[in-house]
Amino acid sequence: MNKNCQDYQGQFPDYLTGDLDEKTVESIQNHVTTCTDCRGELEELTGTWTQLGILPEEQPGANLRKNFYTMLESYREGLESSPLKKFFDFFKIKNIGEKLWPRRPVFQLAAVIVFLVMGFTIGYFMQLHNQNSREIARLSQENRSFRQQLTVSLLNQSSPSQRLKGLMWSRQLENPADETLESLLHTLNYDPNVNVRLTAVDALYLFSDHPTVKQGLMESLQKQTSPMVQIALIDLLVEMREKKAIKSLKHLLEKNKLNPEVKERAQLSLKLL
Amino acid sequence: MTDEGVMSSVKGGNVKMLAILFERYHIKLYNYFLRLTGNKSLSEDLTQEVFLRILKYRDTFRHESKFTTWMYQIGRNVHIDYLRKHKREIPLDEQWEEEIAVGPQPEQKTQEEQDMVFLHKALAQLTPAKKEVLVLSRFQGMKYQEISQLLGCSLSTVKVQVHRAIKDLRKTYLNLKGGMA
Repeated sequence: MNKNCQDYQGQFPDYLTGDLDEKTVESIQNHVTTCTDCRGELEELTGTWTQLGILPEEQPGANLRKNFYTMLESYREGLESSPLKKFFDFFKIKNIGEKLWPRRPVFQLAAVIVFLVMGFTIGYFMQLHNQNSREIARLSQENRSFRQQLTVSLLNQSSPSQRLKGLMWSRQLENPADETLESLLHTLNYDPNVNVRLTAVDALYLFSDHPTVKQGLMESLQKQTSPMVQIALIDLLVEMREKKAIKSLKHLLEKNKLNPEVKERAQLSLKLL
Repeated sequence: MTDEGVMSSVKGGNVKMLAILFERYHIKLYNYFLRLTGNKSLSEDLTQEVFLRILKYRDTFRHESKFTTWMYQIGRNVHIDYLRKHKREIPLDEQWEEEIAVGPQPEQKTQEEQDMVFLHKALAQLTPAKKEVLVLSRFQGMKYQEISQLLGCSLSTVKVQVHRAIKDLRKTYLNLKGGMA
């Protein structure tokens, strides 16, 4: 194939989508009348491109729409009932309150007394409620601490399935302690089982906003030997949009005997970052 | 109202407006996932997840960026997350076979129906990168320039990938068809 043909064939993808001006289209058409190679290539491409048109656009099931609207409604209700929204709504009805306020001083005094009594009553009940809330908070703190202990203890078991269970438990933690995060990172770096290490990448994804985890993930990239774990980590760093990961990726690329797929993924990720 | 205008409204707190974008794009997105995964119920779940993420991350949408590019970016992430969590799923072409097996037997199918089956299978056998560019350009109607932005690669890389994807697809398609004859 001569250079001329290469140039023409480079334009074929645009020819398929109709994104070329008339002059270029005409020039391609003239060329293929004389060049059999390019004619064959263009016919193959256009034939297949056109044939793909027989694959119909499928319609999703009715549940998709139903589920979407249910999700949207519950999301909206969640927003409506948020404390912030209620606070703003209270101020929106302030003007109505002004309109309802009595004009005669006797009624005004009566209204003040009623509000004072209501205030004390509400205050009293609020205090009771606070005591309950403190109790609930204490119990929930205990529950959190139990989950963390269970996670760490499972991660230290000798059976891989137990350690996987530990990783599953970690997903339920809301604010894991530093010790728990370190155990997760330790599992990611040193667990002998590759499936456990891969699951650890997924588990740490949930806590990737935490500075210790962020740093740990970047450092882990140098320690991993399995291409699967390396690729999962690279993808995670790209998803986190972590600019500092550029340095780790460059270090990785300097390694000898780096798996070609890992190399390709790391190079693409560097561009993305 | 443009997509970007609607999305700005959603971002401003009028989340109900997302219904407009859902009606405009859910079939496109569903087909995008269907061509990538070959699985209908999974594609519905992934489509739903995209709209949920649009709501959750609506604050990150920038008005100057194109809504569909942002939406497909989320779609890609949803798909990648799925693949990461389900590494040992049934390969794509086998899934299509399951879908196909429900239909009439090969000898009862018309020529076009048979071609469709072979094309589905040939598409499923493409490498993920080639399949993605072909699906985006041929079925999602995205310009090569947009695809290059979405995938974070050069425009020429996208064109080369499309060219190769069609050639690979054709080769597999002809092999399958030849095997049937």
